[in-house]
Amino acid sequence: MGDPNQPAEPKGRKRQKVSQAAKGVLYGMAAHGHVTAALRTRMYLEHLFMFITLGDMLGVPVIPPYYSLKILPYAVPNIKSWKQRVFRERDFTDQVF
Amino acid sequence: MAGLLETPFLWVVATIALYAVAYWGYGKWVDRNVWRSDAKKATPAHMYMDGVEYFPVSRYVLWGYQFKSVAALGPILGPFIGIAYGWIPALLWIIGGNFFIGWLQDYGSMMLSVRKEGRSFGPITYEFTGAKGRNNLLAFVLFYLIIISATFIALIAQFWNAFGGTTFVPTIGVLLSGLLCGQLLYKLKMNVMAVTVIGIGLVIVSIYLGMLIPVTMPWGAAWNTVYWAAICAVILYVAAILPVPTFIQPTNYLAFYPAYTAIMLLLLGALLSPFTGVPVAEPAFVGVWNNTIGPIWPILFVSVVAGLSPTGASVTAWVGGAQALVSPLVGGKSANAVLATFFGLVLIIYALTVQALVTRFFRLVAGETWGEGRFHILGNKHVATFFGLGVSWVFAISGSWWALWLYFGGANQLLAGLAIMLIAIYLAKTRSPTRNYVIPGVFMVVTTLAALIWETWTFVNAAIQYVVYNNAAALAQQTRPPVSGVTLAALAIDAVFVGVGVALFLVGLSMAIRLFRTYGRSKAEGRVPAPAAADGGELENKSH
Repeated sequence: MGDPNQPAEPKGRKRQKVSQAAKGVLYGMAAHGHVTAALRTRMYLEHLFMFITLGDMLGVPVIPPYYSLKILPYAVPNIKSWKQRVFRERDFTDQVF
Repeated sequence: MAGLLETPFLWVVATIALYAVAYWGYGKWVDRNVWRSDAKKATPAHMYMDGVEYFPVSRYVLWGYQFKSVAALGPILGPFIGIAYGWIPALLWIIGGNFFIGWLQDYGSMMLSVRKEGRSFGPITYEFTGAKGRNNLLAFVLFYLIIISATFIALIAQFWNAFGGTTFVPTIGVLLSGLLCGQLLYKLKMNVMAVTVIGIGLVIVSIYLGMLIPVTMPWGAAWNTVYWAAICAVILYVAAILPVPTFIQPTNYLAFYPAYTAIMLLLLGALLSPFTGVPVAEPAFVGVWNNTIGPIWPILFVSVVAGLSPTGASVTAWVGGAQALVSPLVGGKSANAVLATFFGLVLIIYALTVQALVTRFFRLVAGETWGEGRFHILGNKHVATFFGLGVSWVFAISGSWWALWLYFGGANQLLAGLAIMLIAIYLAKTRSPTRNYVIPGVFMVVTTLAALIWETWTFVNAAIQYVVYNNAAALAQQTRPPVSGVTLAALAIDAVFVGVGVALFLVGLSMAIRLFRTYGRSKAEGRVPAPAAADGGELENKSH
């Protein structure tokens, strides 16, 4: 039983909640795994680009810092999460799709 | 019309009710008392959110994803173990196994990963058992992947050879439609909904074409299976070599729709069975011993969890059962031909989509194992894939598939048991109650190792029967035609399977011992009182 002091939830809102839940379940079953796999594929390509251009930040200098500095303003928003991902402990069990 | 008790309705409703008790009763209790989860604590998805590897999703998405990960070929065909021992023992084990073991392992693995900054199974094994433990796991996984591949290739070949040959064209249809969808999605950047509609339309057309153009082979069941298995291996080779977004990903996405339509239809068919009058056709209890596969313990516990009847005939009988359950809902007997093709296709795509991932995973693990050093050639992606599929193909066409299935079941459930022990180690280290995990963990490890011993013994026994008593029939039972027709070849394959069984057992046992030792140490460390604070606990006492 709901709290009698609380106003009853409008019918439309309840329906919206159920519809969101159904959409979430369908998305989870059909597409979530594929979306995360696609994101990971893009991540590896972006890592490659970042390594080539800003590798010296991780101690892997590939191109002269002059060009790195030109790219730096565009790369700044991603640097923290990039370092976090690159330094993350990885294993063969991560590769199951 | 069959009475209410004769239909599957009540059993399905009772099982759902018990699952509700598991979720709201036992599940909540374990969560509160063992894991002590706190909704206010930030998870790695929030702490390290980068929109790529770490990002939060709703509980519904998580549930859908988990459901999809669990529902594969095994659990769908699982209830068919009833043919061997009766359906009551199988149902009891499914309910009991899920209630006390299955969800605990899934939820525990997830919570362990959450508490360990989102790390996966490998790094956690390394942390708890060291480099040797991780190498041990790697060796076990390699054997396990070969056995899975052999089993699934054998099954796909049998499925293509059955159902009047109507399932081959739809399978190719699903694969080509998947390839096309991948191109439309990633190259032409088409809308996902539009691509999905086109893909599903093509799958429906391919099912129709499959019925119009059945593909059969003329060499008899034994040799046909050999060629079908070779075709399957070629498809898997292509799937493992091509980039994931080109082949595996769009194909698996498209395969989801027919596969889950089948599950929904079966559930609906069971719930409406009092109205359609479809009775439970199999015997409730047959006995505790089966002449082909052996005793109910440990065999039932490895075959039903892995999920398939060990008698080859029931593979196609499953489709008959599904037809009977669903046909009254979609037009009666006139729909039987379409349903046979549809359910046959569903079995194949469940096996094929999983197997494509397994083959790719094998080549990645092989790369990890042999990438450097004297055998680096085995780490090459073409060589590794060819080697993995070649060995699996030989096993698939030569071993009795139920024997392979039991090896697969044993190895599969042993991996689950080892995962449970890993969770128990974590709980012991954090001084949490471990009983709810250790008891199922010990049960699973002991049962699966016993199943591996039993299965290995059946191969040893077949060789003894031939060598000592000149009984070639025992040898023929352990292998399959055409190999079983050539006694020396059958003996050689039998010996190889003995080797595989012994290797699986020893590697699994060594991993289990390692985990039990670590658990014992962690538990002993947990018994030592926590060190007192430098001030003797005065400050803490004051705050209370």
